[in-house]
Amino acid sequence: METNLIVEGFKFMGLGMGTVFIFLVIMIASMNLMSIVIHKFFPESKPEINPSVAPQQNNKKVVAAISAAITHHRQG
Amino acid sequence: MKNIVIKFLALFMLLAFTNVSANQSTNESTGTNTHKEETYKSQTFGHMVSGFLKSTGIVAFISPDPDELNAKGEKMSTFHKGLGRALMIILTFFLFWLAIAKGFEPLLLLPIAFGGLLANIPVANIGGAHGFLGVIYSMGLSNEMFPIIIFMGVGAMTDFGPLLSNPKTALLGGAAQFGIFGTLVGAVALSQYGIVDFTLQQASAISIIGGADGPTSIFIATKLAPELLGAIAVASYSYMAMVPIIQPPIMKALTTDAERRIKMTTLRHVSRLEKLVFPVMVLTLAILVLPESTPLIGAFMFGNFLKESGVVERLNDTLQNSLINTVTIFLGLGVGSKLAADQFLVPQTMFIMALGIVAFSVGTASGVLMAKLMNMFPGHKINPLIGSAGVSAVPMAARVSNKVGMEFDRNNMLLMHAMGPNVAGVIGSAVAAGVLISLFQ
Repeated sequence: METNLIVEGFKFMGLGMGTVFIFLVIMIASMNLMSIVIHKFFPESKPEINPSVAPQQNNKKVVAAISAAITHHRQG
Repeated sequence: MKNIVIKFLALFMLLAFTNVSANQSTNESTGTNTHKEETYKSQTFGHMVSGFLKSTGIVAFISPDPDELNAKGEKMSTFHKGLGRALMIILTFFLFWLAIAKGFEPLLLLPIAFGGLLANIPVANIGGAHGFLGVIYSMGLSNEMFPIIIFMGVGAMTDFGPLLSNPKTALLGGAAQFGIFGTLVGAVALSQYGIVDFTLQQASAISIIGGADGPTSIFIATKLAPELLGAIAVASYSYMAMVPIIQPPIMKALTTDAERRIKMTTLRHVSRLEKLVFPVMVLTLAILVLPESTPLIGAFMFGNFLKESGVVERLNDTLQNSLINTVTIFLGLGVGSKLAADQFLVPQTMFIMALGIVAFSVGTASGVLMAKLMNMFPGHKINPLIGSAGVSAVPMAARVSNKVGMEFDRNNMLLMHAMGPNVAGVIGSAVAAGVLISLFQ
Protein backbone atom coordinates (compact mmCIF):
# COMPACT_ATOMS: atom_id res chain seq x y z
CA MET A 1 0.00 0.00 0.00
CA GLU A 2 1.46 3.31 -1.06
CA THR A 3 0.61 6.43 0.91
CA ASN A 4 0.58 9.72 -0.94
CA LEU A 5 3.14 11.74 0.98
CA ILE A 6 1.93 15.07 -0.35
CA VAL A 7 -1.56 14.45 1.01
CA GLU A 8 0.07 13.52 4.32
CA GLY A 9 2.03 16.78 4.19
CA PHE A 10 -1.15 18.81 3.74
CA LYS A 11 -2.80 16.96 6.62
CA PHE A 12 0.18 17.89 8.81
CA MET A 13 -0.15 21.49 7.65
CA GLY A 14 -3.84 21.67 8.44
CA LEU A 15 -3.44 20.20 11.88
CA GLY A 16 -0.27 22.16 12.66
CA MET A 17 -1.45 25.59 11.56
CA GLY A 18 -4.84 24.93 13.15
CA THR A 19 -3.25 24.14 16.49
CA VAL A 20 -0.87 27.11 16.33
CA PHE A 21 -3.70 29.54 15.58
CA ILE A 22 -6.10 28.08 18.13
CA PHE A 23 -3.37 28.24 20.74
CA LEU A 24 -2.52 31.85 19.91
CA VAL A 25 -6.17 32.94 19.76
CA ILE A 26 -6.80 31.45 23.20
CA MET A 27 -3.59 33.10 24.37
CA ILE A 28 -4.68 36.51 23.04
CA ALA A 29 -8.11 36.15 24.64
CA SER A 30 -6.63 35.23 28.01
CA MET A 31 -4.09 38.05 27.74
CA ASN A 32 -6.89 40.56 27.24
CA LEU A 33 -8.90 39.05 30.05
CA MET A 34 -5.89 39.07 32.34
CA SER A 35 -5.11 42.72 31.68
CA ILE A 36 -8.74 43.70 32.37
CA VAL A 37 -8.76 41.76 35.64
CA ILE A 38 -5.41 43.08 36.75
CA HIS A 39 -6.22 46.70 35.92
CA LYS A 40 -9.51 46.47 37.75
CA PHE A 41 -8.48 44.64 40.91
CA PHE A 42 -4.73 45.25 41.23
CA PRO A 43 -4.03 48.71 39.81
CA GLU A 44 -0.47 49.96 40.11
CA SER A 45 -0.14 52.77 42.65
CA LYS A 46 3.24 54.08 41.52
CA PRO A 47 2.30 56.76 38.93
CA GLU A 48 0.93 59.14 41.64
CA ILE A 49 4.31 59.59 43.27
CA ASN A 50 6.47 59.90 40.19
CA PRO A 51 5.08 63.09 38.54
CA SER A 52 5.97 65.28 41.52
CA VAL A 53 9.55 64.06 41.53
CA ALA A 54 10.34 63.95 37.84
CA PRO A 55 9.83 67.64 36.92
CA GLN A 56 12.13 68.78 39.72
CA GLN A 57 14.89 66.53 38.49
CA ASN A 58 14.26 67.77 34.99
CA ASN A 59 14.39 71.38 36.14
CA LYS A 60 17.69 70.80 37.90
CA LYS A 61 19.12 69.24 34.79
CA VAL A 62 17.87 72.08 32.64
CA VAL A 63 19.29 74.70 35.01
CA ALA A 64 22.61 72.90 35.07
CA ALA A 65 22.70 72.72 31.28
CA ILE A 66 21.82 76.42 30.90
CA SER A 67 24.40 77.57 33.44
CA ALA A 68 27.03 75.40 31.80
CA ALA A 69 26.17 76.95 28.46
CA ILE A 70 26.36 80.47 29.92
CA THR A 71 29.78 79.90 31.49
CA HIS A 72 30.98 78.36 28.27
CA HIS A 73 29.70 81.40 26.35
CA ARG A 74 31.38 83.85 28.73
CA GLN A 75 34.68 82.03 28.61
CA GLY A 76 34.58 81.88 24.84
CA MET B 1 73.08 27.88 18.53
CA LYS B 2 71.36 26.17 15.59
CA ASN B 3 74.36 23.89 15.14
CA ILE B 4 74.23 22.80 18.73
CA VAL B 5 70.58 21.85 18.43
CA ILE B 6 71.27 19.82 15.28
CA LYS B 7 74.19 18.06 16.91
CA PHE B 8 72.12 17.29 19.94
CA LEU B 9 69.35 15.81 17.79
CA ALA B 10 71.84 13.70 15.87
CA LEU B 11 73.27 12.41 19.13
CA PHE B 12 69.80 11.58 20.34
CA MET B 13 69.02 9.61 17.16
CA LEU B 14 72.25 7.70 17.50
CA LEU B 15 71.43 6.82 21.08
CA ALA B 16 68.02 5.66 20.04
CA PHE B 17 69.50 3.34 17.43
CA THR B 18 71.96 1.82 19.85
CA ASN B 19 69.18 1.39 22.36
CA VAL B 20 67.06 -0.53 19.87
CA SER B 21 69.88 -2.88 18.98
CA ALA B 22 70.74 -3.30 22.64
CA ASN B 23 67.14 -4.15 23.41
CA GLN B 24 67.10 -6.71 20.65
CA SER B 25 70.15 -8.45 22.05
CA THR B 26 68.71 -8.50 25.54
CA ASN B 27 65.41 -9.86 24.24
CA GLU B 28 67.17 -12.65 22.46
CA SER B 29 69.20 -13.56 25.50
CA THR B 30 66.44 -13.35 28.13
CA GLY B 31 63.40 -14.84 26.37
CA THR B 32 61.63 -15.40 29.66
CA ASN B 33 61.07 -11.69 30.33
CA THR B 34 59.14 -10.99 27.15
CA HIS B 35 55.86 -12.61 28.19
CA LYS B 36 54.98 -9.60 30.30
CA GLU B 37 54.94 -7.35 27.23
CA GLU B 38 52.99 -9.52 24.86
CA THR B 39 50.89 -6.63 23.58
CA TYR B 40 53.97 -4.59 22.71
CA LYS B 41 56.11 -6.32 20.12
CA SER B 42 59.61 -5.08 19.92
CA GLN B 43 60.53 -3.87 16.45
CA THR B 44 63.46 -2.28 14.71
CA PHE B 45 63.66 1.46 14.56
CA GLY B 46 63.10 1.33 10.81
CA HIS B 47 59.79 -0.42 11.36
CA MET B 48 58.83 2.04 14.03
CA VAL B 49 59.52 4.97 11.72
CA SER B 50 57.58 3.45 8.84
CA GLY B 51 54.75 2.54 11.22
CA PHE B 52 54.67 6.07 12.52
CA LEU B 53 54.69 7.50 9.03
CA LYS B 54 51.71 5.34 8.17
CA SER B 55 49.79 6.80 11.10
CA THR B 56 50.27 10.42 10.00
CA GLY B 57 47.38 12.53 8.79
CA ILE B 58 48.89 12.92 5.32
CA VAL B 59 48.81 9.18 4.68
CA ALA B 60 45.36 8.91 6.23
CA PHE B 61 44.06 11.53 3.80
CA ILE B 62 45.77 10.12 0.70
CA SER B 63 45.31 6.40 1.22
CA PRO B 64 42.84 5.87 4.06
CA ASP B 65 42.69 2.72 6.13
CA PRO B 66 40.18 0.42 4.38
CA ASP B 67 38.83 -0.87 7.69
CA GLU B 68 38.29 2.52 9.32
CA LEU B 69 34.83 2.91 10.85
CA ASN B 70 32.81 6.10 11.30
CA ALA B 71 31.54 7.50 14.60
CA LYS B 72 28.62 5.08 14.61
CA GLY B 73 30.85 2.06 13.95
CA GLU B 74 29.76 1.64 10.33
CA LYS B 75 31.94 1.31 7.24
CA MET B 76 32.69 4.51 5.36
CA SER B 77 33.25 4.99 1.66
CA THR B 78 36.77 5.87 0.48
CA PHE B 79 35.53 9.29 -0.65
CA HIS B 80 34.28 10.17 2.82
CA LYS B 81 37.56 9.12 4.36
CA GLY B 82 39.90 10.97 2.04
CA LEU B 83 38.76 13.81 -0.17
CA GLY B 84 35.45 14.22 1.69
CA ARG B 85 37.24 15.02 4.93
CA ALA B 86 39.52 17.47 3.20
CA LEU B 87 36.48 19.19 1.66
CA MET B 88 34.73 19.36 5.02
CA ILE B 89 37.81 20.92 6.62
CA ILE B 90 37.83 23.56 3.87
CA LEU B 91 34.11 24.10 4.51
CA THR B 92 34.76 24.67 8.22
CA PHE B 93 37.37 27.30 7.26
CA PHE B 94 34.68 28.94 5.16
CA LEU B 95 32.35 28.91 8.19
CA PHE B 96 35.12 30.51 10.28
CA TRP B 97 35.34 33.25 7.68
CA LEU B 98 31.56 33.76 7.72
CA ALA B 99 31.53 33.94 11.52
CA ILE B 100 34.56 36.18 11.98
CA ALA B 101 34.68 38.42 8.92
CA LYS B 102 30.96 38.59 8.17
CA GLY B 103 29.63 38.33 11.74
CA PHE B 104 27.23 35.46 10.96
CA GLU B 105 25.93 34.29 14.38
CA PRO B 106 29.55 33.88 15.56
CA LEU B 107 28.48 32.70 19.03
CA LEU B 108 27.19 29.45 17.57
CA LEU B 109 28.78 29.19 14.16
CA LEU B 110 32.32 29.29 15.54
CA PRO B 111 31.90 26.38 18.00
CA ILE B 112 29.95 24.43 15.36
CA ALA B 113 32.60 24.98 12.71
CA PHE B 114 35.45 24.11 15.06
CA GLY B 115 33.59 21.00 16.17
CA GLY B 116 33.26 20.13 12.50
CA LEU B 117 36.97 20.60 11.99
CA LEU B 118 37.74 18.29 14.91
CA ALA B 119 35.19 15.69 13.79
CA ASN B 120 36.86 15.38 10.40
CA ILE B 121 40.30 14.51 11.72
CA PRO B 122 41.21 11.01 10.52
CA VAL B 123 42.49 8.32 12.92
CA ALA B 124 41.77 10.32 16.12
CA ASN B 125 38.01 9.63 15.91
CA ILE B 126 37.10 12.58 18.13
CA GLY B 127 33.44 12.37 17.12
CA GLY B 128 33.27 8.67 18.00
CA ALA B 129 31.61 7.23 21.07
CA HIS B 130 34.78 7.69 23.15
CA GLY B 131 36.09 10.89 21.57
CA PHE B 132 35.29 14.06 23.49
CA LEU B 133 32.90 15.39 20.83
CA GLY B 134 31.04 12.10 20.92
CA VAL B 135 30.86 12.32 24.70
CA ILE B 136 29.51 15.88 24.51
CA TYR B 137 26.95 14.74 21.95
CA SER B 138 25.65 11.87 24.07
CA MET B 139 25.83 14.04 27.21
CA GLY B 140 23.41 16.71 26.10
CA LEU B 141 22.31 16.48 22.49
CA SER B 142 21.05 12.96 21.95
CA ASN B 143 18.85 13.46 25.01
CA GLU B 144 17.81 17.01 23.93
CA MET B 145 19.20 18.53 27.12
CA PHE B 146 21.26 21.43 25.71
CA PRO B 147 18.57 23.03 23.52
CA ILE B 148 16.24 23.01 26.54
CA ILE B 149 18.81 24.80 28.72
CA ILE B 150 19.40 27.34 25.95
CA PHE B 151 15.64 27.89 25.88
CA MET B 152 15.66 28.69 29.61
CA GLY B 153 18.31 31.34 28.99
CA VAL B 154 16.40 32.76 26.03
CA GLY B 155 13.30 32.92 28.24
CA ALA B 156 15.23 34.89 30.84
CA MET B 157 16.31 37.35 28.13
CA THR B 158 12.84 37.81 26.66
CA ASP B 159 10.59 40.73 27.51
CA PHE B 160 6.92 40.00 26.81
CA GLY B 161 5.93 43.63 27.46
CA PRO B 162 5.42 44.62 23.79
CA LEU B 163 3.30 41.52 23.19
CA LEU B 164 1.20 42.12 26.30
CA SER B 165 0.48 45.71 25.31
CA ASN B 166 -0.72 44.71 21.83
CA PRO B 167 -1.85 41.08 22.09
CA LYS B 168 -3.34 40.72 18.63
CA THR B 169 0.12 40.96 17.02
CA ALA B 170 0.61 37.40 18.30
CA LEU B 171 -1.35 36.27 15.23
CA LEU B 172 1.53 37.45 13.05
CA GLY B 173 3.84 35.13 14.95
CA GLY B 174 1.40 32.33 14.19
CA ALA B 175 1.12 33.07 10.49
CA ALA B 176 4.88 32.90 10.06
CA GLN B 177 4.71 29.23 11.04
CA PHE B 178 3.36 28.63 7.54
CA GLY B 179 7.05 28.60 6.69
CA ILE B 180 7.38 25.37 8.66
CA PHE B 181 4.41 23.53 7.23
CA GLY B 182 4.79 24.87 3.72
CA THR B 183 8.33 23.51 3.65
CA LEU B 184 7.10 20.22 5.06
CA VAL B 185 4.81 19.87 2.05
CA GLY B 186 7.69 20.86 -0.23
CA ALA B 187 10.04 18.28 1.30
CA VAL B 188 7.56 15.41 1.03
CA ALA B 189 6.71 16.49 -2.53
CA LEU B 190 10.40 16.13 -3.41
CA SER B 191 10.47 12.58 -2.10
CA GLN B 192 7.08 11.75 -3.63
CA TYR B 193 8.47 12.55 -7.08
CA GLY B 194 11.60 10.54 -6.33
CA ILE B 195 14.01 13.48 -6.50
CA VAL B 196 15.42 12.82 -3.05
CA ASP B 197 14.45 10.37 -0.37
CA PHE B 198 13.07 11.98 2.78
CA THR B 199 10.90 10.17 5.28
CA LEU B 200 8.08 12.12 6.95
CA GLN B 201 10.19 12.41 10.09
CA GLN B 202 13.11 13.83 8.14
CA ALA B 203 10.84 16.22 6.25
CA SER B 204 9.40 17.48 9.54
CA ALA B 205 12.85 17.97 11.03
CA ILE B 206 13.95 19.95 7.97
CA SER B 207 10.83 22.09 7.86
CA ILE B 208 11.33 23.30 11.43
CA ILE B 209 14.17 25.44 10.04
CA GLY B 210 11.30 27.73 9.00
CA GLY B 211 10.63 28.39 12.69
CA ALA B 212 13.89 30.38 12.58
CA ASP B 213 14.63 29.26 16.08
CA GLY B 214 17.97 27.53 16.62
CA PRO B 215 17.27 25.56 19.82
CA THR B 216 13.86 24.40 18.54
CA SER B 217 15.41 23.17 15.29
CA ILE B 218 18.08 21.25 17.17
CA PHE B 219 15.51 19.85 19.59
CA ILE B 220 13.30 18.52 16.79
CA ALA B 221 16.19 17.33 14.63
CA THR B 222 17.70 15.23 17.42
CA LYS B 223 14.30 13.79 18.18
CA LEU B 224 13.10 13.00 14.66
CA ALA B 225 16.15 12.80 12.38
CA PRO B 226 19.49 12.85 14.25
CA GLU B 227 21.33 11.83 11.06
CA LEU B 228 20.47 15.21 9.51
CA LEU B 229 21.29 17.31 12.59
CA GLY B 230 24.52 18.81 11.21
CA ALA B 231 22.97 20.10 8.00
CA ILE B 232 19.80 21.32 9.73
CA ALA B 233 21.71 23.22 12.41
CA VAL B 234 24.09 24.82 9.94
CA ALA B 235 21.21 25.81 7.63
CA SER B 236 19.19 27.15 10.54
CA TYR B 237 21.92 29.31 12.04
CA SER B 238 23.35 30.56 8.77
CA TYR B 239 19.92 31.61 7.47
CA MET B 240 19.10 33.24 10.80
CA ALA B 241 22.24 35.29 10.32
CA MET B 242 21.12 36.10 6.78
CA VAL B 243 17.70 37.41 7.87
CA PRO B 244 18.72 41.03 7.03
CA ILE B 245 19.48 39.88 3.46
CA ILE B 246 16.59 37.45 2.89
CA GLN B 247 13.70 39.40 4.38
CA PRO B 248 13.74 43.00 3.03
CA PRO B 249 13.14 42.15 -0.67
CA ILE B 250 10.16 39.95 0.26
CA MET B 251 8.77 42.60 2.62
CA LYS B 252 9.06 45.33 0.00
CA ALA B 253 7.57 43.20 -2.76
CA LEU B 254 4.43 42.44 -0.76
CA THR B 255 3.63 45.91 0.59
CA THR B 256 2.60 49.20 -0.94
CA ASP B 257 4.31 52.48 -0.10
CA ALA B 258 1.31 53.68 1.92
CA GLU B 259 1.26 50.49 3.98
CA ARG B 260 4.94 50.82 4.83
CA ARG B 261 4.30 54.31 6.22
CA ILE B 262 1.51 53.25 8.59
CA LYS B 263 2.18 54.68 12.05
CA MET B 264 1.16 52.43 14.89
CA THR B 265 -0.37 53.65 18.15
CA THR B 266 2.00 53.98 21.08
CA LEU B 267 2.30 50.89 23.24
CA ARG B 268 0.56 51.11 26.58
CA HIS B 269 2.35 50.61 29.87
CA VAL B 270 2.34 46.99 31.07
CA SER B 271 2.21 46.40 34.81
CA ARG B 272 4.68 44.11 36.55
CA LEU B 273 1.91 41.80 37.66
CA GLU B 274 0.84 41.19 34.07
CA LYS B 275 4.37 40.22 33.10
CA LEU B 276 4.57 37.92 36.09
CA VAL B 277 1.26 36.16 35.38
CA PHE B 278 1.89 35.79 31.63
CA PRO B 279 4.48 32.94 31.67
CA VAL B 280 2.36 30.86 34.02
CA MET B 281 -0.72 31.55 31.93
CA VAL B 282 0.92 30.44 28.66
CA LEU B 283 2.32 27.33 30.32
CA THR B 284 -1.14 26.49 31.65
CA LEU B 285 -2.56 26.81 28.14
CA ALA B 286 0.20 24.59 26.77
CA ILE B 287 -0.54 21.98 29.42
CA LEU B 288 -4.21 21.98 28.48
CA VAL B 289 -3.89 22.16 24.69
CA LEU B 290 -0.63 20.49 23.78
CA PRO B 291 1.41 18.77 26.52
CA GLU B 292 3.98 17.70 23.88
CA SER B 293 5.10 21.30 23.57
CA THR B 294 5.66 21.76 27.31
CA PRO B 295 9.35 20.76 27.39
CA LEU B 296 10.14 23.78 25.19
CA ILE B 297 7.48 26.17 26.47
CA GLY B 298 8.03 25.06 30.06
CA ALA B 299 11.76 25.77 29.91
CA PHE B 300 11.16 29.08 28.14
CA MET B 301 8.57 30.23 30.66
CA PHE B 302 10.68 29.05 33.59
CA GLY B 303 13.46 31.38 32.49
CA ASN B 304 11.02 34.22 31.95
CA PHE B 305 9.27 33.64 35.27
CA LEU B 306 12.57 33.80 37.16
CA LYS B 307 13.32 37.09 35.46
CA GLU B 308 9.92 38.68 36.05
CA SER B 309 9.66 37.51 39.65
CA GLY B 310 12.41 39.99 40.47
CA VAL B 311 13.46 38.14 43.61
CA VAL B 312 16.04 35.71 42.17
CA GLU B 313 18.37 38.12 40.45
CA ARG B 314 21.31 35.70 40.88
CA LEU B 315 19.57 32.81 39.13
CA ASN B 316 18.30 35.12 36.42
CA ASP B 317 21.81 36.41 35.88
CA THR B 318 23.21 32.88 35.69
CA LEU B 319 20.60 31.82 33.15
CA GLN B 320 21.18 34.85 30.97
CA ASN B 321 24.95 34.74 31.07
CA SER B 322 27.12 31.99 32.47
CA LEU B 323 24.76 29.05 31.96
CA ILE B 324 23.68 29.91 28.43
CA ASN B 325 27.28 30.66 27.45
CA THR B 326 28.59 27.37 28.83
CA VAL B 327 25.86 25.37 27.17
CA THR B 328 26.33 27.26 23.90
CA ILE B 329 29.93 26.04 23.76
CA PHE B 330 28.87 22.43 24.31
CA LEU B 331 25.90 22.69 21.97
CA GLY B 332 28.08 24.10 19.19
CA LEU B 333 30.76 21.46 19.57
CA GLY B 334 28.20 18.66 19.81
CA VAL B 335 26.42 19.83 16.66
CA GLY B 336 29.81 20.20 15.00
CA SER B 337 30.47 16.51 15.58
CA LYS B 338 27.67 15.88 13.08
CA LEU B 339 29.64 17.71 10.41
CA ALA B 340 31.73 14.58 9.87
CA ALA B 341 32.16 14.00 6.13
CA ASP B 342 30.22 10.73 6.05
CA GLN B 343 27.16 12.42 7.55
CA PHE B 344 27.31 15.85 5.94
CA LEU B 345 28.50 15.14 2.41
CA VAL B 346 25.34 13.38 1.31
CA PRO B 347 22.91 14.50 -1.44
CA GLN B 348 20.26 15.37 1.17
CA THR B 349 22.37 18.25 2.55
CA MET B 350 21.99 20.24 -0.64
CA PHE B 351 18.21 19.88 -0.50
CA ILE B 352 18.14 20.80 3.19
CA MET B 353 19.97 24.03 2.40
CA ALA B 354 17.54 24.80 -0.43
CA LEU B 355 14.44 23.92 1.62
CA GLY B 356 15.74 26.01 4.52
CA ILE B 357 15.77 29.20 2.51
CA VAL B 358 12.30 28.39 1.12
CA ALA B 359 11.10 27.95 4.71
CA PHE B 360 12.45 31.37 5.72
CA SER B 361 10.97 33.10 2.71
CA VAL B 362 7.53 31.51 3.07
CA GLY B 363 7.48 32.36 6.78
CA THR B 364 8.37 35.99 6.10
CA ALA B 365 5.82 36.32 3.31
CA SER B 366 2.96 34.78 5.28
CA GLY B 367 3.69 37.05 8.26
CA VAL B 368 3.45 40.13 6.04
CA LEU B 369 0.30 38.87 4.30
CA MET B 370 -1.32 38.11 7.64
CA ALA B 371 -0.77 41.71 8.72
CA LYS B 372 -2.43 42.90 5.51
CA LEU B 373 -5.35 40.56 6.18
CA MET B 374 -5.73 41.90 9.72
CA ASN B 375 -5.83 45.46 8.37
CA MET B 376 -9.02 44.58 6.48
CA PHE B 377 -10.81 44.32 9.82
CA PRO B 378 -11.73 47.37 11.90
CA GLY B 379 -9.42 48.40 14.71
CA HIS B 380 -5.94 49.88 14.98
CA LYS B 381 -4.01 49.44 11.77
CA ILE B 382 -0.88 47.33 11.74
CA ASN B 383 2.17 48.16 9.70
CA PRO B 384 2.69 45.01 7.57
CA LEU B 385 6.45 45.38 7.93
CA ILE B 386 6.23 43.99 11.46
CA GLY B 387 4.63 40.81 10.08
CA SER B 388 7.99 39.53 8.92
CA ALA B 389 9.19 39.58 12.54
CA GLY B 390 6.81 36.69 13.17
CA VAL B 391 9.56 34.27 12.16
CA SER B 392 11.32 34.05 15.52
CA ALA B 393 15.01 34.95 14.97
CA VAL B 394 14.87 37.21 18.05
CA PRO B 395 15.78 40.07 17.91
CA MET B 396 17.24 40.17 14.41
CA ALA B 397 13.90 39.96 12.57
CA ALA B 398 12.44 42.81 14.65
CA ARG B 399 15.46 44.96 13.87
CA VAL B 400 14.99 44.28 10.17
CA SER B 401 11.34 45.44 10.41
CA ASN B 402 12.50 48.61 12.12
CA LYS B 403 15.23 49.25 9.56
CA VAL B 404 12.98 48.78 6.54
CA GLY B 405 10.33 51.00 8.18
CA MET B 406 12.90 53.76 8.76
CA GLU B 407 13.91 53.66 5.10
CA PHE B 408 10.49 54.95 4.13
CA ASP B 409 9.73 57.19 7.12
CA ARG B 410 12.58 58.39 9.32
CA ASN B 411 10.25 58.92 12.28
CA ASN B 412 8.49 55.56 12.20
CA MET B 413 9.98 53.51 15.02
CA LEU B 414 8.71 49.95 14.60
CA LEU B 415 11.20 48.12 16.82
CA MET B 416 9.05 47.70 19.93
CA HIS B 417 5.95 46.92 17.85
CA ALA B 418 7.88 44.24 16.00
CA MET B 419 9.07 42.65 19.25
CA GLY B 420 5.47 41.50 19.90
CA PRO B 421 5.17 39.18 16.86
CA ASN B 422 8.82 38.29 17.32
CA VAL B 423 8.38 36.71 20.76
CA ALA B 424 5.00 35.30 19.72
CA GLY B 425 6.90 33.59 16.91
CA VAL B 426 9.01 31.76 19.49
CA ILE B 427 5.86 30.51 21.20
CA GLY B 428 4.32 29.67 17.81
CA SER B 429 7.27 27.60 16.65
CA ALA B 430 7.40 25.80 20.00
CA VAL B 431 3.72 24.89 19.53
CA ALA B 432 4.39 23.79 15.93
CA ALA B 433 7.28 21.66 17.22
CA GLY B 434 4.93 20.11 19.79
CA VAL B 435 2.44 19.25 17.03
CA LEU B 436 5.16 17.57 14.95
CA ILE B 437 6.36 15.54 17.93
CA SER B 438 2.85 14.49 18.86
CA LEU B 439 2.24 13.24 15.30
CA PHE B 440 5.12 10.78 15.55
CA GLN B 441 4.37 9.41 18.99
